[in-house]
Amino acid sequence: MQEFLEFTLGGISFGMIYAAIGLSLVLIWRGTRILNYAQGGMAMFTTYIALIVINHTGNYWAGFAVALAAGLVLGAVCELAVRPAEGKPPMNAVIVTIGLLILLEGLAGIIYGGQYRSFPAAFSVTGLRIGSTALGVSRNDVFVAAAVLAAALALAAMFRYTQVGLRLRATAFGPRVARLLGIRIGRVLTLGWALAGLIGALAGVLVSPSTFLYPDSMDSIFVLGFTAAVIGGLDSPLGAVVGGLTLGVALNYAGGYLGSALVPVFGMAALVLILMVRPSGLLGSASSRQV
Amino acid sequence: MADAGGNGGHLPAGDAGSPAGTGGGPAPGTGGGGLADGVPVLAVQDLVAGYGEAVALGGVSISAAQGTVTAVLGANGAGKTTLLRAISGLIKVRGGSVLLDGVDVTRRKPEDMARAGVAHVPEGQGVITELTVEENLRLGALIRAGRAVRAAALEQAYQQFPVLASRRRKPAATLSGGERQMLVIARALLAAPRVLLLDEPSLGLAPIVISQVMALVAGLRDSTGLTILLVEQNARAALAIADRGVVLNLGKVAVTAQAADLAADTGLLNHYLGL
Amino acid sequence: MTMLRHLAAAILVALAAALLSVELGAFRDYQMAQVAVYVVAVAGLSVLIGLSGQISIGHGAFMAIGAYCAALLLMHLSWPLEAVLAASAAGTALAGLVVGVAAARLRGPYLAGVTLMLAVALPALAFQYPGVFGGDQGLGVSITTPAFLGPTFPLTRWQAWVATAAALITLVLLANLAHSRIGRSWRAIRDDETAAALAGLNVAALRVLAFVISAACAGLAGALLGVITTLVSPGSFTITLSIALLTAAVLGGLGTLPGAVWGSLVIVLVPTYITDVATSHGLPSSVAANIPVAAYGVVLIAVMLVFPNGIQGGVRRLLGPALPAASGSLSAVRRTARPGAHPGAGGSPGALRRMVRPGGPPDADGSLNAFRRQAPANEHPEEGTQ
Repeated sequence: MQEFLEFTLGGISFGMIYAAIGLSLVLIWRGTRILNYAQGGMAMFTTYIALIVINHTGNYWAGFAVALAAGLVLGAVCELAVRPAEGKPPMNAVIVTIGLLILLEGLAGIIYGGQYRSFPAAFSVTGLRIGSTALGVSRNDVFVAAAVLAAALALAAMFRYTQVGLRLRATAFGPRVARLLGIRIGRVLTLGWALAGLIGALAGVLVSPSTFLYPDSMDSIFVLGFTAAVIGGLDSPLGAVVGGLTLGVALNYAGGYLGSALVPVFGMAALVLILMVRPSGLLGSASSRQV
Repeated sequence: MADAGGNGGHLPAGDAGSPAGTGGGPAPGTGGGGLADGVPVLAVQDLVAGYGEAVALGGVSISAAQGTVTAVLGANGAGKTTLLRAISGLIKVRGGSVLLDGVDVTRRKPEDMARAGVAHVPEGQGVITELTVEENLRLGALIRAGRAVRAAALEQAYQQFPVLASRRRKPAATLSGGERQMLVIARALLAAPRVLLLDEPSLGLAPIVISQVMALVAGLRDSTGLTILLVEQNARAALAIADRGVVLNLGKVAVTAQAADLAADTGLLNHYLGL
Repeated sequence: MTMLRHLAAAILVALAAALLSVELGAFRDYQMAQVAVYVVAVAGLSVLIGLSGQISIGHGAFMAIGAYCAALLLMHLSWPLEAVLAASAAGTALAGLVVGVAAARLRGPYLAGVTLMLAVALPALAFQYPGVFGGDQGLGVSITTPAFLGPTFPLTRWQAWVATAAALITLVLLANLAHSRIGRSWRAIRDDETAAALAGLNVAALRVLAFVISAACAGLAGALLGVITTLVSPGSFTITLSIALLTAAVLGGLGTLPGAVWGSLVIVLVPTYITDVATSHGLPSSVAANIPVAAYGVVLIAVMLVFPNGIQGGVRRLLGPALPAASGSLSAVRRTARPGAHPGAGGSPGALRRMVRPGGPPDADGSLNAFRRQAPANEHPEEGTQ
């Protein structure tokens, strides 16, 4: 029972990371029908930038802030690179974003080197206890969950209540109509990518204390974040969060009870099973009829 | 449905960018009028456009004077929708030109055309069903400057279209066909355009709703002096309210005439439209 | 006729390669072998992506399966090399069958994501069962030159011969397949799945078949890799490998077999060259090793955006009508039908052309409005890309 509690709570922290990556993927997917395979790479890159700032200034929060800002910028820049692929067959966008991914990984290797670096956590990572019961979470874990949740809520509020959010949704759901109404959808798309970059950057700094930082460090996180988005349905931001949490907790159980090396295999099995049953994800809207 | 278009609303006098609201331009049928020197508001000259290797418009010339409804008629595939898309910039123009108040706007992007005062209500209406009625309307006002202006325009739209007011918070998907047509026209008007391009507004609507929509369109012309290009397969309904009519056939203009004359020429309508 | 033509070409190339391998030294022989290995894998991948329109960014995993099959077979049974290679290919084909069936209904990013997952998850198995798979260290592969070649025949040359022979056989088989009815059926489902299904093609079976064949190629390539490097370990089969395969296929020209050759040549020769130049300029090894990686990225982006038909596309343009008809190229991948595609959403330039909306709720008005959404597609064909 104690174990169960630990596994559940422990899975939430990673689950929120997957949710964050999933959320950024959904953001871009909704607006452009492109799946950004470079999302993890972007997050890795901004985390390196954060590390440099932290090492120079000795201030964690300075690095945190700079990472988020860098995420915005990097997202916008990447959108410009991908934009020519937006009207073409989906294969092009897949390959272009993969190209972006390995470009970022190569650059990181060149600039920062390939060795594993440690990244500081915002808060203490010692496990919390209530009385004598170990909870399986630390203060940092709580911060991780809270930060992602806050970001998700802020995003939701922005979408719902602001003009910018209205533009983003219109561009996502009815781009042709939006253009006819005078909306400059190019700029809107750039903003969407920038926001996705921001959330990815957040995920990067939150997860790197656990995974260490190296050019490929976000690859498996990305894959699981993608899984979370797919589980929830690529069109659904809420689905990404739900999918992330579910996946995080489920994988933690698998790792705890079955052995941690098999976690990726378990994740893969889950992904395949879900997609076999619902090829557009659990909460995704069903495809329109073909004929 | 309440009288949505009959009395038309006047836009608040101080609103920059509204078409002249002096109670209507030249009477239907005179076919004249425009700016002082007779420049038509919208003119298309020898326009060529197509899709991929197909040429859908092979040199079309049309002009529309201010405060008139010009009906663009033709059978399926005649090029009517292509014409509107070429004007608003949705597809590339391969030859010829589009003039707005005498200014060449031929290859501008749709966003820019919208901001220049050309409102295009596309085929299929273009209701964004994932948004509410109000959100759809607010989209139309986005290019207006200033919160107060936008809010006032929105309220004015609700007065002009009470049925939309009663459903403002509902998802746009819940509207009926006729209500959706009202929505997209109202949305287009919120941008305070000079020119309104309507693509087959009657498609899929019941006859009584069609006449309401047509009455609305006529009312817009009468009360606000809007210049309207009305693409329609339903030639009778369109000609009933139009000033002039253009019949397209296989991407070229077959006939240009006064609407009344066209409506009377059943042989011609039969030939080109199978009526 | 085509089969004969292909065979004749293959035999000529085989002779030329054999001569070359005698002339060149051991290192070049090794490179030739490497290129041949890549050609096998890339050709299969190129067929999968370019002809059948399915993407896989996890083919490195299939190579791993083939490699470990070969290593285990050679270690525990003493089968002749040809049998080992064939069995490895077959075993991987089986894995391809499983993946293909699981992924048969998936399209676009969903499919790519599953294959990516495969590439990430598979190495985990090696670590989970180190007793069988040798864990991090991997398994050794013992290879000797056959007796009939004599005692002084260099091992590297033998390895190059084996790899090259396998590559040529693969190319001939794939070429015939591409020109056959199956190849045509693949192109049909790639270009317009709905139309193909309506025409009576068994879309799912064809998709799975493409997966099986490309997996078999990758498995063979993996086994060959084990043969020429005499070692099979998880470190050789990272995601970078999968991406290198993809880069080679795209760069060479998706769906074209000569493209597989160009791409493989570039992937094997250029990074070594770049790294050499970098180290000779005094750059540290970590930098030098990563420059090719960054270069892969730039290449992928540039090729997709600027020359979607890759090197073979450029060759075609230069040589033009002198070449036989192309079996398929990326620019022909115009209308990959996708779930959720919204008919009538086209007709606008550039960025909007392929925007699609989620399925969305049915129109409140019912059938007539739904019909209206279909009608524009009939009246106005979507603007084609080219």
